[in-house]
Amino acid sequence: MNADTENQLADGSFEFLSIFLEGLPFIFLGTLISGFLGTYLPRGAFEKILPKNRTLAVIISGFLGAIFPVCECAVVPVIRRLVKNGLPVSCALSYMLAAPIFNPITAYSTFKAFNSSTDVMFTRLGFGYLIAVIIALIAARFAINNILKSSNDQKPLHEHHHPRNLTSALQNSLRDLMDVGLYFAIGVILTAILKTAVVDPNEPFWKDLGANFAGGTIGMMILAFLLSLCSTSDAFIAANSFDHFPIGPKLAFMIFGPMVDAKLIFLYSTVFKWRFILFLTIAAFLLTGIASWIAQNHLISDSPKAPVEDLLTP
Amino acid sequence: MTSLQARLFGLIASLWGGLLVYFYHSGRIRRYLEQDFHQLILIGGIGILILGLFFVINPKDKSSTTCSHDHHHHDSEDHHQNCDHDHSDCEHDHDHQHDHCDHHHHDEGHGPLVTALLTLVPLTIAMAYTQDQYTVTGKTIAKKGLYEAPAINQTFKFTREDLEKRVPKNSLGEYQIRLITAYYAAGDKEMQPIFEGLPVELEGRIAPEKLNNEEGNRLRIFRSIISCCAADMQIIGISLDIPEDIERPKLNEWAKAGGTLDFEKINDTIYPVLRVRGFMPAEEPYSEFIKRQ
Repeated sequence: MNADTENQLADGSFEFLSIFLEGLPFIFLGTLISGFLGTYLPRGAFEKILPKNRTLAVIISGFLGAIFPVCECAVVPVIRRLVKNGLPVSCALSYMLAAPIFNPITAYSTFKAFNSSTDVMFTRLGFGYLIAVIIALIAARFAINNILKSSNDQKPLHEHHHPRNLTSALQNSLRDLMDVGLYFAIGVILTAILKTAVVDPNEPFWKDLGANFAGGTIGMMILAFLLSLCSTSDAFIAANSFDHFPIGPKLAFMIFGPMVDAKLIFLYSTVFKWRFILFLTIAAFLLTGIASWIAQNHLISDSPKAPVEDLLTP
Repeated sequence: MTSLQARLFGLIASLWGGLLVYFYHSGRIRRYLEQDFHQLILIGGIGILILGLFFVINPKDKSSTTCSHDHHHHDSEDHHQNCDHDHSDCEHDHDHQHDHCDHHHHDEGHGPLVTALLTLVPLTIAMAYTQDQYTVTGKTIAKKGLYEAPAINQTFKFTREDLEKRVPKNSLGEYQIRLITAYYAAGDKEMQPIFEGLPVELEGRIAPEKLNNEEGNRLRIFRSIISCCAADMQIIGISLDIPEDIERPKLNEWAKAGGTLDFEKINDTIYPVLRVRGFMPAEEPYSEFIKRQ
């Protein structure tokens, strides 16, 4: 093995472990919640909680991230179980796509990363929410067997009375942890390989894309997909590492990434069919592109500078 | 989930949880994650470990005689073909015993062997090859920004008086400024005059220099900035211009470099450079990361 390969293997291993170690406790938290929801939440509970009107229900579900803030890794096992327990898929989608962006933690990090700019923060949260709701409303028109994997179908022919005890909840949690953890690991392996062996955001190719809006927006969405950053930290990367890009493409990076990235698609595959994941990716890509254009031309005039805190104090 | 599956899944979960606890306990976690996440790793690790061990020891729900699993009935397949009792008329609550049913009621997910293969093998390989940091001679560290110039027009402002009042000096009268300060100064034309020619001491890790180093008289000193984990790391570095008679630190070592701060233009971009007076060894901090605020 030559030195380059050894370095790449060492760096890839480091990258893989850092994402896996960071993500696993959140996945565990998500699966713990999902296990207990699966056991203790009565079927049909959502019919009582959510409005009968599907559109209104989707709109409200998109706001849930503000009340139950979860990151994109933890949200997948939760919605997986909620869907099994009768939450309409469109509502689950609305929550799943909006929650990583439309939550107080992401709002604060975006605010700080863009030098206390409320414009950037509200534009990101607003478009993140809007795109999630639009995709969910479109998905509501699909037949459910075109969206969900068969194991997640909501088609029990009769009611089962499952035992509602701790062991049952933990068993659900373990099963979810194993399913989601497996796909998470696959996604992280792919991300680590892409980041250490394939993608170099400092290459002239990526830098030159910043010169025009369309290229910059597409490039930043592809980078967001490949880099698979957390929604809580991606704003800092967008603000600091891509200074040569205008604000529109930066927003595209921060909106598209938390909805679709290399590791997330494997997590989504625990719930959705691959064909639907492809639809989700294309829809998010197009809608984010439009949002980026609107933001660039009508909402935010200039990219606020990356902040520098009090640099003098040691 | 059968007893064997529950036990094997429990074992895999125990290993995942054990891995998190190990990283926390050994202190290796400080190389991977920002300090705020360390306790989360411990709590998460213990939680996963408990969950896993519970099913290693107690793989079946013995307290209940009812179904403890989802029980989706599939239209197209006879899901109960191996059961010897009659399920054809399923209008009942399904509270009868299922412990004798050895079949797998779910067709979801993968079995424990696939899960073990696709998670434990990559983890083992990663544990064997990781150096707990990006290699200083590899390409990834450059991708993270080691050789990049600072973004222009930063928004921090201060005067020479601020510097005098707030920044300590070493015994040689060199300002012990943060490496990040010197780095960002190069991005602001108003700040450059304050720093240009200033005697400073910078502390960081040493990497090879790949810019403007035809004569081989340069190294690079750097620090890492992160929000959560090493994956979102941004690396900032400053070139060290070293006279021949100065003893050089080894690559990857922590060092304090004293000298005069200067700025140089390479391909129309301004980079900071330290004209080195000398080096002193430095201890690696508990966490080498600078947290993004």
